[in-house]
Amino acid sequence: MAARSLRISHVGLRGVVGGGLTANHVIDFACAFGTLLEPRQAVVIGRDPRASGVMLREGVIAGLLATGHDVVDLGIVSTPVIQHTIRRHGAGGGVSIGASHNSAEWNALKFFGPGGIYLSTAEAGELLDIYHLRKFDLVAHDQVGKLRTETDAIGHYVSELAGHFDFERLRRFRIVVDCSNGTSSLILRELESRYQLQAIRINDRLEGIRFAHEPSTSREIVALQLAPLVKPLGADAGFLFDVDSDRVALATEEGEPVSEEMVLPLLADHLLPKGPGKLVITNISSTALLEEVAARHGGKVIRVPVGRQAAIDALTSYRPEQIAIVGEGTGAVMMPEFRFVYDGIAAMLAVLTMMAERGQRLSEILADYPRYSMLKAQLPLVSARMPELLMELQRDYSDGVVTRIDGLRIDWPGRWFHVRVSQTEPVIRIICEQRGDPPQELFEDLLERVRRLA
Amino acid sequence: MRGEHLLKISVSGIRGVVGEFLTPALACAFGQAFGTYVGPGRVVIGRDTRSSGEMLQHAVTCGLLASGCEVIDVGVLPTPTIQVYVASGGARGGLAVTASHNPPEYNALKLFNARGLFLNSYERSELIDLYHQSEFRHATNDEIGQVRSDYRTPVKLHIQRVLEHVDAARIRSRRFRVALDAVNGAASVMACEFLREALGCELVAIHVDPARPFPRIAEPRPETLTELAALVRSAGCDVGFAQDPDADRLAVADETGRVLDNDDVLALVVEGVLERRRGDVVVNLTTSSAIDVIARRYGSRVWRTPVGEAHVVEQMLATGAVIGGEGSNGGVIFPAVHACRDSFTAMAFILDRMAATGEPVSSLAARLPRLWRRFGKVAFEHGRLGAMMQALEESFPGAQTDRSDGLKVIFDGAWVHVRASNTEPLVRLAAEADSPERLEELYGKVSRLLERA
Repeated sequence: MAARSLRISHVGLRGVVGGGLTANHVIDFACAFGTLLEPRQAVVIGRDPRASGVMLREGVIAGLLATGHDVVDLGIVSTPVIQHTIRRHGAGGGVSIGASHNSAEWNALKFFGPGGIYLSTAEAGELLDIYHLRKFDLVAHDQVGKLRTETDAIGHYVSELAGHFDFERLRRFRIVVDCSNGTSSLILRELESRYQLQAIRINDRLEGIRFAHEPSTSREIVALQLAPLVKPLGADAGFLFDVDSDRVALATEEGEPVSEEMVLPLLADHLLPKGPGKLVITNISSTALLEEVAARHGGKVIRVPVGRQAAIDALTSYRPEQIAIVGEGTGAVMMPEFRFVYDGIAAMLAVLTMMAERGQRLSEILADYPRYSMLKAQLPLVSARMPELLMELQRDYSDGVVTRIDGLRIDWPGRWFHVRVSQTEPVIRIICEQRGDPPQELFEDLLERVRRLA
Repeated sequence: MRGEHLLKISVSGIRGVVGEFLTPALACAFGQAFGTYVGPGRVVIGRDTRSSGEMLQHAVTCGLLASGCEVIDVGVLPTPTIQVYVASGGARGGLAVTASHNPPEYNALKLFNARGLFLNSYERSELIDLYHQSEFRHATNDEIGQVRSDYRTPVKLHIQRVLEHVDAARIRSRRFRVALDAVNGAASVMACEFLREALGCELVAIHVDPARPFPRIAEPRPETLTELAALVRSAGCDVGFAQDPDADRLAVADETGRVLDNDDVLALVVEGVLERRRGDVVVNLTTSSAIDVIARRYGSRVWRTPVGEAHVVEQMLATGAVIGGEGSNGGVIFPAVHACRDSFTAMAFILDRMAATGEPVSSLAARLPRLWRRFGKVAFEHGRLGAMMQALEESFPGAQTDRSDGLKVIFDGAWVHVRASNTEPLVRLAAEADSPERLEELYGKVSRLLERA
């Protein structure tokens, strides 16, 4: 078995199907989730188009029915649609089957509580405990749940979007969208037919095995197929989604791929002046441009450890009205009016709204921000050496401000670096950023030290 | 209560009480073992109407997909209908999620090979070894198959097959008035269609709602069919039929509302078949000697096998028998339709004989060889079984015996058969004799002997 082909953590279950993730894991995890939820509450499920999704769906259905829950199967839909449907039905929770930005051989289960919200760390920990104990509340034969399918979930979700966005205004934009063979194509079709959104879709066939490209929202992937099309097609912007449509990436009308880091500052700039919320919640690896943007609107950036779970936990530490936006440097953002669900489609519509309100082209809006340059690298992980490595680095760069909530971050005015261990791969991630030109010297010095120490 | 009888994983497959015992994890692992055994290809799955059936079907499907099989979901259907469909080609095997006549809290898996036949004893032991070794095939993303549904083809195929072997036009012309009790089981919809549309009967049906629980003890026996008997009388029916939840078994009530002995139903069908085609007959050891009497009339040979559909079918295929079954279980096996117990074939043959002879069921039954039967069970402690069998054999010195399934002692005009249950620590006792007095004497002697031993 390949190393790191299965990962069971607070985020859920993730693995390479047939190589680490088996049917048995799926059944047990579904039984554990059914045991965690309030008894007899319905559970909403959906999946992305990966071929293995059908196998996972069968196991999830069996485990939930066996623990006494009725199951509503939405078929192939995006994760935000599942979360929306949980809330619309007042269901007890939901399961999203899909490995998002991972390659096709991976699959995963993500779990949601009532209202479609992510499980807190405490709830996720309880789920793991139940899973490991394998003491499930399997119900008697006459209490076993029933399955029903629902085919109009995307329609209801799109209706909700229509309540927040002015499609009359947005339909004058012409956009190119790279669907990464994922669920965004279904939503876009609905937006096109109901609201005449002008979208030209590429890679819009739902694909189970061979994705047109790695389904990541990185700048490199945007540059691959999407960006070169935007200008020749005379479009106002290009958007790229990951497979389950919770992340988005951008290209300008000039065909310039935009760094995935820019989605959050852009929307923070759009939302901070609109609502009472003045807080931007993000992790310690995302761009320092955020602090500048927040300062323009009297806002404040709260930085938490990397990973979805830390952001979700941080959300609950503040009143919703205090928060303007939550996000990562990956193009995953949550907005208050969408009840803090990572939603790539809503983020795209917010960017278009910003363009419409300002009457500016995307490249013009972006040109308004000071330039920040980021350098990223990864090196093989030697777990046993990590504590000393971080301590040595902290000693070597003792003139900066130290943050130790997740690995090591050191800040100087206009410059910072972050060294941490990846949660998904056996690597050390190294990020440096500087206002203006790339911090080449710092980056190389840092790499050299990490190589030597690790 | 200890759990040992609430879950049974054996060469007969997997069976248990749903909830703590028969879990989705077990069903999934068994599905993956089955998929690994038959190899990557198409596998058919269907179920009866038990409340746990949908859950278990999804669990088994999960395991089948994980092993790289493509799954054809046929939904709620009778077991014989699923078997006919599997045999129609293209599939590596099939499964029925059903505990047959067992109480509603139970469920189980019936396993079929590519020919739509129960896995034979050798195949079953290979499968169970594979299950215990947990050596499953794990398909990768590009090897995982799809789930397709086909709810209609199996029904059409099965009905059409049955109709090829009876004079359907003659049955239709008689417009028989038929009462039906489908126990809200897998045949609820299909049996109505079969009797009403295919055979032109005037149908008076009860318990034909697949969404409702079983309204009576699931096993169709005279004691459990009082409602059907009353219905036959009140509605003035020519005949009454009752099925079990997966519709492999059939019980028959005559026009007076008397529910026939299941052995007599088999005897009526055997008689009808041998009349038209000569060949061997296979029945289990507990089936009535009436079969021997009838077969002798047509010069047919009767083979006896251990109790269990798989045993009877194995022997039928090996001998090329034309008809067979398990008398006390109400199971008729007619291989020209398919080598499995099939209540639809049995219904068609009974109606065909009624149409051909113009006689009511009661007079057809009255002409069967007259024998008296009694069935019972005696609990035993582990370790006592051998002594019980020995005591039984010794108390009838010189009698002919058959040891192929427990012990059967055969006399001229009578027999007694004692065998251990596969599922519980008790022995099943069956006796038959040519007079009621002789039956009581034999049955009494043997049951006292077993209780003392």
